[in-house]
Amino acid sequence: MNKISLEVSEELDESTFSTKLDNGLEIYICKKKNYTKKIGMFGTKYGSVVNDFVDITTGNRIKVPDGIAHFLEHKLFEKEGANALDLFSKIGVSSNAYTSFDQTVYYFETSEKFDESIAMLVKLIKEPYFTDENVEKEQGIIGQEISMYDDDPSFMVYFNALKAMYQKNPVRIDIAGTIESISHITKDLLYTCYNTFYSPQNMFIVVVGDVDVDNTIKLIEENILKYEKKGTTNTSKIEKFYESEPEDIAKKEITQKMDVYLPQLCLGYKLKTCDGYEIVKNDIIVSILSDMYFSKQSDFFEKEYNLGRVNDSIYMQYEGSETFSHVLISTTTTDVDLVEKDILDYINKIKNEPIDEKLFNVIKRKKIGESILASDNFNVCYRRIIDSIIDNTNVYADMDILKSLQVSDVKEFLDKLSEKNRVTSKIIAK
Amino acid sequence: MKIHKINDNKFKSIYISYNFTMSVDSNEIYANNAVLGALMAKSSERFENQKEIERYLNELYGASYDVNVEKYGDLYNLEFRAEVINKKFLPEKEDVLEKMIEFMSSMIYSPADWDIKNIEREKEFILERINERKDEKLKYGVQKMEELLCKNEPFGNFLFGNEEDVLKIDKEVLKNAYEKLICAPVTVIVSGNLDEYNNIDELFGKYFEDKIKSEDICSLEYNTRKNNDIEFEEIKEEQDTAQSVLTLGYKIVDSSMDEFYVLNLYNAILGTTPSSKLFQNVREKESLAYTVRSRFYRFKNMIVIYAGINKENYLKAIEVIKEQVENIKNGQITDEEFISAKDSLMADLNEWKDSKVAMAKMVFSNIIAYNDFDITIDQMREKIKKVTLDDVIKVSNKIKLEKIFYLGGNTNE
Repeated sequence: MNKISLEVSEELDESTFSTKLDNGLEIYICKKKNYTKKIGMFGTKYGSVVNDFVDITTGNRIKVPDGIAHFLEHKLFEKEGANALDLFSKIGVSSNAYTSFDQTVYYFETSEKFDESIAMLVKLIKEPYFTDENVEKEQGIIGQEISMYDDDPSFMVYFNALKAMYQKNPVRIDIAGTIESISHITKDLLYTCYNTFYSPQNMFIVVVGDVDVDNTIKLIEENILKYEKKGTTNTSKIEKFYESEPEDIAKKEITQKMDVYLPQLCLGYKLKTCDGYEIVKNDIIVSILSDMYFSKQSDFFEKEYNLGRVNDSIYMQYEGSETFSHVLISTTTTDVDLVEKDILDYINKIKNEPIDEKLFNVIKRKKIGESILASDNFNVCYRRIIDSIIDNTNVYADMDILKSLQVSDVKEFLDKLSEKNRVTSKIIAK
Repeated sequence: MKIHKINDNKFKSIYISYNFTMSVDSNEIYANNAVLGALMAKSSERFENQKEIERYLNELYGASYDVNVEKYGDLYNLEFRAEVINKKFLPEKEDVLEKMIEFMSSMIYSPADWDIKNIEREKEFILERINERKDEKLKYGVQKMEELLCKNEPFGNFLFGNEEDVLKIDKEVLKNAYEKLICAPVTVIVSGNLDEYNNIDELFGKYFEDKIKSEDICSLEYNTRKNNDIEFEEIKEEQDTAQSVLTLGYKIVDSSMDEFYVLNLYNAILGTTPSSKLFQNVREKESLAYTVRSRFYRFKNMIVIYAGINKENYLKAIEVIKEQVENIKNGQITDEEFISAKDSLMADLNEWKDSKVAMAKMVFSNIIAYNDFDITIDQMREKIKKVTLDDVIKVSNKIKLEKIFYLGGNTNE
């Protein structure tokens, strides 16, 4: 058996074991003692932003239609005459899959059928079954999914902000693509993407639950080997191409009319891309900023609430990857224009003020508490591991960064928010 | 005072649920208590506003506190809930549990002397909640069906009441609502890691004992429906959206809580899992919807089926959905469908053990339904296991379609 590494977080009282199989597949196991539930996830570091790459089987560079990673997710979870969700459901196991900008992940949740579920998950991923007919049928189902999102104002306000920030980067396009783009997807294109990005050196398996580490690794390896004939696995390096994204934003503002009662606002600040460690750090800094300046304990929120402009919350979040980096500030409001102006004035003010050190320390302590609270939740455990895989950091890097964070880190980050690279997205009533 | 404790030391925190449950003697309860709950979540004698409360909670290592309103059939429940970390896991082993219990007691029993400005602001807050509900189409479609199926029953009210009732609220109304609330039966549930806390009863006793007026929740009636006549109706509401929402509302006639487990299984076979008839036929076979599910209302004996469809599929979708319901009545259930639905339900129950909140809800629901707080997950699993195919077919004949509601673009019929 290959070497097993162990990472531990004392604060969270949690351990994660990891290893790499000979074919390059990474395995992570987060041990949660005495829990009933077990989650198994099989993922690839491949998501919606990849549409230009070298086909691993032919060596030729190829461009593929938008939305194909998500389409592939749907199709891979479908076998001859049966849906994967259904195959799992038949043994009483719930399962699902998702595609984001930089990953596609398939997972199951079970309390009693762990071994069978691992076998089924591996089989599903390792045995693609695409036909012209099932591709055509899926175009209908995904079309419904796209329409569903088109009616969702929170989704639209977010995507319009991305569209405003980015000129070239495919994050500006819906993860599911468009009804037009998915009409160009064929069986052969799906196989090309599958062969390239679903090769073991680009994939990972994550398990969370009370499982035996050695046996679980053995179980996974045995199942993987069933589908690998010696010497057939292509472990060439994967080459992806991204159009270079200008520093400038695409558009200052996008306003869309929808059938909504409450308008929505999303401000975006486009930033320079950074490495994985910085991504994790930015994420923590922004969550602290959000609590310090916009949460319900802030004077700003109190003022907006008392004016009757904001009801629920104003929150700030960071999103970063290899190809993009930005901050979003979102809220639902009775008056998008006034609140936009208030937020912009406020950002300007806090940038020019010293940081309240006492408040910073209280919020930092609160964040440590929240991380402890959240560790009872499996989603938080696997999210942290997958982020660490994608960002190429230690599993508990977030806890280390949080503990060592200084006021100066927050100050430095605030200085990066520039009015020049700021966009506004609004959803207003028809 | 009785504290229902659910101890499991795999968790790191403790969830506290403090409930006031009441019968609905007037529909204004929904609006009045929504505003009251909002005020009580955001102020007290000790904390002037939400900002002060949040700052206090920050000091307790990000402990959470809020007020949740919910319906258990025709009963109304106002829940004060909080979560704190067990002292074992805090850097200095600080005990934040007692602080939280004291805090909750003061929030509940020493309310602020609300001024007009605050009252008006919270009325506005609830009005927006009422008005924005149309922004989530599927959810709205389901709510609308609940309203249609329970026209003259409390459950048919929107959780936050209606605009008219909210507008009528003043300080006097709220004071009366408050008095009524604190006289309502109290149920306290504490769920999570209770290691190193042998004093939970004393702690609650210290801060709550003399405050509680009643604990008698079992005399309350959760389903007041007397009339099981079926009045079929098809209702449409036009809306300019890309996707339309179709809901079908069914009443379960002559049924009782004894059939809870059978109905649960019926509902799983019909439409809660990917192996269910609705998912397999409406979505997979006919590609008519991306989302299609059925929901069983334990306390109201009804089932609502909902789907997001294209308007041109309106008639076809109704036909395929009705067909699934009929097929179960005719006994067309494969062994595979039956077993997988059963396995899914049993697995879901098992996974509740991993959630403090789910365990607390399970205990509370069983108190309302059976006046029994000792029922365990394993007992519930056993009951599901014993349900037979015949039980399901028998119960399926009690399910009657009453309303069809459509929300979306013109169907050009």
